[in-house]
Amino acid sequence: MEKSTIVCRCEEINIDEIEIAIKNGAQEFDDIKRLTRCGMGTCQSKICMNLVRKIISEKLNKPLGEIAPSKMRMPLKVTRLSALTKNIDLCIEEKATLEEGEQTSV
Amino acid sequence: MVKIKTDILIIGSGPAGLNAAYTAASHGANVIIVDEAITIGGQLKQQTQILNNLPGEFNSQRGFSLVDDFYERLKSLPITFLLRHTMIGIYKNNSIGVTNGKETFPITYKKLIIATGAAEEATIFPGWTLPGVMTIGAAQILLNREHVLPGNEAIILGFNEFSLEVGKQLESCGVNIKAIVAKGNYDVELFHEAKNVGIRVVSNATIISATGVNEVEKVVLNIDGIEEEHMVDLVCIGNRLSPILEAFEILSCQLAYQEDLGGLFPKYYNSLETTNTSVYVAGNAAGITNIGGILITGEIAAWNALYSLELLEYSQFKNRSRALWEQLYRIEESQVFKARIAAIKETYKDESLALPPFVELLLEEC
Repeated sequence: MEKSTIVCRCEEINIDEIEIAIKNGAQEFDDIKRLTRCGMGTCQSKICMNLVRKIISEKLNKPLGEIAPSKMRMPLKVTRLSALTKNIDLCIEEKATLEEGEQTSV
Repeated sequence: MVKIKTDILIIGSGPAGLNAAYTAASHGANVIIVDEAITIGGQLKQQTQILNNLPGEFNSQRGFSLVDDFYERLKSLPITFLLRHTMIGIYKNNSIGVTNGKETFPITYKKLIIATGAAEEATIFPGWTLPGVMTIGAAQILLNREHVLPGNEAIILGFNEFSLEVGKQLESCGVNIKAIVAKGNYDVELFHEAKNVGIRVVSNATIISATGVNEVEKVVLNIDGIEEEHMVDLVCIGNRLSPILEAFEILSCQLAYQEDLGGLFPKYYNSLETTNTSVYVAGNAAGITNIGGILITGEIAAWNALYSLELLEYSQFKNRSRALWEQLYRIEESQVFKARIAAIKETYKDESLALPPFVELLLEEC
């Protein structure tokens, strides 16, 4: 496949860059991430993780099951900072009840 | 930090989450379901084909009508639906962090059932990031949920039951399916099904490239060594699914790998409890299966959560659990069921625990 083929669409990392990272010793997804920024965009590796794991598995001739996935960090989904900070005191004090929370019934 | 408390917290309101909620709430548990979508049903909402392999208590019906069926079952039960809410992390002491986009707050649970489902895997080829290239599931959402035609001339990459089904749905709305590209050899029965509706399937084929200015305009195929060009404005990637793992990873559940379960998945016991006590897995997140398997695993997880909350008698629990596992054995593809039982055996082995005789029996059966 053409070396310029994109693997991580958020950060526009192509196959060539990933293969070079593997040549430089990358063995897991997170190694590739640290070397290239692959998986550090908006989707947080949701699309490219298994694509990259597959490339590593083929290049290093290791079973796919042995290639560790990316380490997940909070927040798990794109979240506004205001949503994270707004209720900071609410999370410490015990004043909210379910009724006060935004609740949608079916 | 205790605010919202519940017996059983369920992440995901797809078929597994809904069936788990129904089971749990109808046996006396307080239930909260969290889902990031605005309505319940998950991926069922755009399934317009008839789902045949449902467990006995459900009638054969279309996906979106199964959602209505659940709505009727659930509306009188003590279930709180937190729709448009997303799990984004965890707090200490059995609490997860949920946001609605405006604020973030903890929900404390006694038992957590994670039914986050599965994601479609991508396939890369030069040009796969062009607009007009999408997964087959995305094309189905556009068509059936958003009522938007995703294109006029299409190539589908990947030949399986689901890609053919969506191909048929696209065709019936006027999209011309130029070909379904099968990697290796295909299932003969499926091939005849495609032939009957006039969809061309090419085997031993791949996409060499997709090109176009601003959007996909042309695709070059390699069919058994021969190149073939097609002018298209839609390329659907119909790949396999893999379990969605973020929630398990953040909860430090150990992962395992089984090709037949869709790759990496959270390790679990025959209770569907993961290696993190009080965290259960259900549905496609526990291994890719059919709709019947998704519904049954939802019930199994709920049943075990109920029992550990002492909301069930032992005999009642034991009988139903066995019946559910036997039902799963009958309804699931045999290789999926085998992989599942093998995975459970591994979990017991890794944790140096004796395999329950019941699982031993299931192993022999398959």
